[in-house]
Amino acid sequence: MREFRRFKIGLLGLVFFAFFVGMAVFAPLIAPAEAYYRWSDITYWEEYPKGVPPEWVNIFSSKKAATQLTLKPTFVEKNITFTYNYQSDIPPSDIILKVSTTATDQERQLSLHVSRPDGMQLNNIVRIVHRGGEVRILFTSVDVRGWLITWARDYETVENLEKIRGREAFVNPLMILFSKPQPGILLGTAENLKGQYNVVVQLSPPTATTARAIFTGSVFGILGTDTLGRDLLVGIVWGSRLALLIGLLTAVLSETIGMIYGVVSAYKGGIIDEAMQRILETVSSLPFLPILIILSYIMRPTVWNLALLMAIFFWVGPVKTVRSMALQLKEQPYVEAAKALGASGWRIVGKHIAPQILPYFFASLALGVPGAILTEAGISFLMGAAGVSEPTWGRILHDAQRYSATINGMWWWVLSPGLLISLAGLTFVLLGSALDRILNPKLKR
Amino acid sequence: MGYGLYLLFRSANAVLVLIAVVFVSSILFNASVEQELRASIEESVSIRITSPAYRALNQTERENLMNLWRETEYKRYGLDQPYWIRVLYQARDIMTLNFGDASIMRSPTGASGVLQIILEALPWTIMLFTTATIIQILLGLYLGLKAAQGVGGALDRGVSVFAMLSNSLPMWWFGMLMILTLSYGLNLFPSGGKVSIPPPTDPITYFFDVLWHMGLPLLTAVFVSFGAWTYITRNIVVGTLQEDFVMAARAKGLPERKVIYGHVLRSASPPIVTMSILSLLGSLGGAIITESVFTWPGMGRLYWIALETGDVRVLLGLTFITTFLYLVATVAIDFIYGFLDPRVKVGLTGR
Repeated sequence: MREFRRFKIGLLGLVFFAFFVGMAVFAPLIAPAEAYYRWSDITYWEEYPKGVPPEWVNIFSSKKAATQLTLKPTFVEKNITFTYNYQSDIPPSDIILKVSTTATDQERQLSLHVSRPDGMQLNNIVRIVHRGGEVRILFTSVDVRGWLITWARDYETVENLEKIRGREAFVNPLMILFSKPQPGILLGTAENLKGQYNVVVQLSPPTATTARAIFTGSVFGILGTDTLGRDLLVGIVWGSRLALLIGLLTAVLSETIGMIYGVVSAYKGGIIDEAMQRILETVSSLPFLPILIILSYIMRPTVWNLALLMAIFFWVGPVKTVRSMALQLKEQPYVEAAKALGASGWRIVGKHIAPQILPYFFASLALGVPGAILTEAGISFLMGAAGVSEPTWGRILHDAQRYSATINGMWWWVLSPGLLISLAGLTFVLLGSALDRILNPKLKR
Repeated sequence: MGYGLYLLFRSANAVLVLIAVVFVSSILFNASVEQELRASIEESVSIRITSPAYRALNQTERENLMNLWRETEYKRYGLDQPYWIRVLYQARDIMTLNFGDASIMRSPTGASGVLQIILEALPWTIMLFTTATIIQILLGLYLGLKAAQGVGGALDRGVSVFAMLSNSLPMWWFGMLMILTLSYGLNLFPSGGKVSIPPPTDPITYFFDVLWHMGLPLLTAVFVSFGAWTYITRNIVVGTLQEDFVMAARAKGLPERKVIYGHVLRSASPPIVTMSILSLLGSLGGAIITESVFTWPGMGRLYWIALETGDVRVLLGLTFITTFLYLVATVAIDFIYGFLDPRVKVGLTGR
């Protein structure tokens, strides 16, 4: 029964481990590398919806939210027409129009019109004078919002108008556009108007142009987006590489140093042992978090450097156990025999002592990983971009805290990074405990 | 090594570590602190020259006067000294709690002195986390004893699984989840801060208001830490239960309650107390980060703001104070341990 349980724990750990390794290895296939490298570059994310939940919430919600959609236009004479078939219950979070023409010296006119399924025509919502290049229109911009509010006023009750007085900036213009003209249109409580919408951009004089309309979703992808529009899937998937790297590198470094230190201390004995133990105590009494914070603040380390920094503090972990194991091994008859045969100290340690400690080393290695992952996450959470230079899971949570994701109920921003941090920690705890029990040497700890 | 000598070594070690940390941070922050100091001297000099008293002077005379002022100020702050002397000065300032003024941050009462800012925040941290630790210890003791009494039982297995799960949970992230569910979702607790705005006027309502605001961070800290802590207690008690004197007590026919609370707990208490302080220290880092999630006005909040605004002097002060508190606690453990368990005083020679 006990054997089985151990086996199950280890197996579960292995499954999780495979999941993380898979995510780290296939990161470029799941999410584009460019998106990851330009994580902090907000211009990259401008066509993404800002702060919307993942798409699968539609399955559980009675109100279906619009998903992300990019439309190509049809050209009818001088009109650029985008035909959008609206069938959801929650409108898109924004409509971004991008119209590019060749640059000229002459002034050109551009105007925006929308025809709705109920036959209403919204004409000249925006009129822009431009000289070519890219013209961008956002439906959440002040101009469009203002126009739509003015238009919708006629259908609104006096009471409701009073309610929004002075709060115009909080009115959702997309809600107006996709609602029936009835009371509540400004408050977002009016009925949805489903059907075919034509968004028309008129150029005068007509010019050769390329155009796109992005109907940004009210839901997005598998993990949703943050307030800056970043696809959380990108950060999560690529973050797995950073987490594994930092966890494993720190653990390998610190466990190796710790093991060598413990064995040498035990084997040498006497005054050297005493001195090494005192050094050990000094390092163990260092409060590593405040020190790591100021070091990170000054150095802006990469995850590689942070791993090195953490190893400076974490190598003390296995020393006590390794030393006591080595002390026992030292007294074994075969070590004495080897000594009597004239074997060198290095040979005895390498051939007779170290191999016996190796099983413990591996278990301890796995158990050292969660501490490193959690510490890095904590530092990144506290410091954000002022700390580790890569966007780690901890950094995503820092941004979530900074943009008040919790008090605005943006659970998708908080849930996935933290869950993965915990799961990564748990994975190595499971692996470590299983290894510890399976490889358990008959030595007394 | 005798016990007294050992304690002496530990105390000396703590002081040494503190000095080392102070020096390293002085070296690290020397450049940015001085840059700030020079800027503020420059500012005060350029303000002083605009005074009507100097209106009659011509350009070169003004320049000379300003240079003179600059020099005296530099001399006053020791900026004219060589690099290592300046680092030494700064280390001395930190060690004597002379952290200077924060550049942007202010304390709730409006003070700009770094020490003042920290001293106003410290009680909130201590209040929150001593309460959390006391609850956690009592809960852990109770559950740990129960688990140890029924080794292999449902409670025992539950405790080990829970300890394993909660151990890999970042406390601050769990705090964010708590805000999402209990504050945003169910609206049971405020999402942050220490009192409602505006604060209640009569002291009793004020007290309960603070308590209500403390609820969520308290719940978070206890929930994440008590699993591991219960597991430790359980292991210590399981070990003690196998001792001969427990068997003797049982053989005497003592009721189980008396055996557990009179014999087992008494013998197991020294390691439990030490471990509780150790676990408190271990969770200090996580706890500080957790504070910033709840905008609880303690040290963690200070850390967060100092890092966001780049207030170097506050950061330096915080580093010193946290290091200091941590080291005091580690030394205290050694003293308490020797006090609770006289055996270590003799037995230590063999270590």
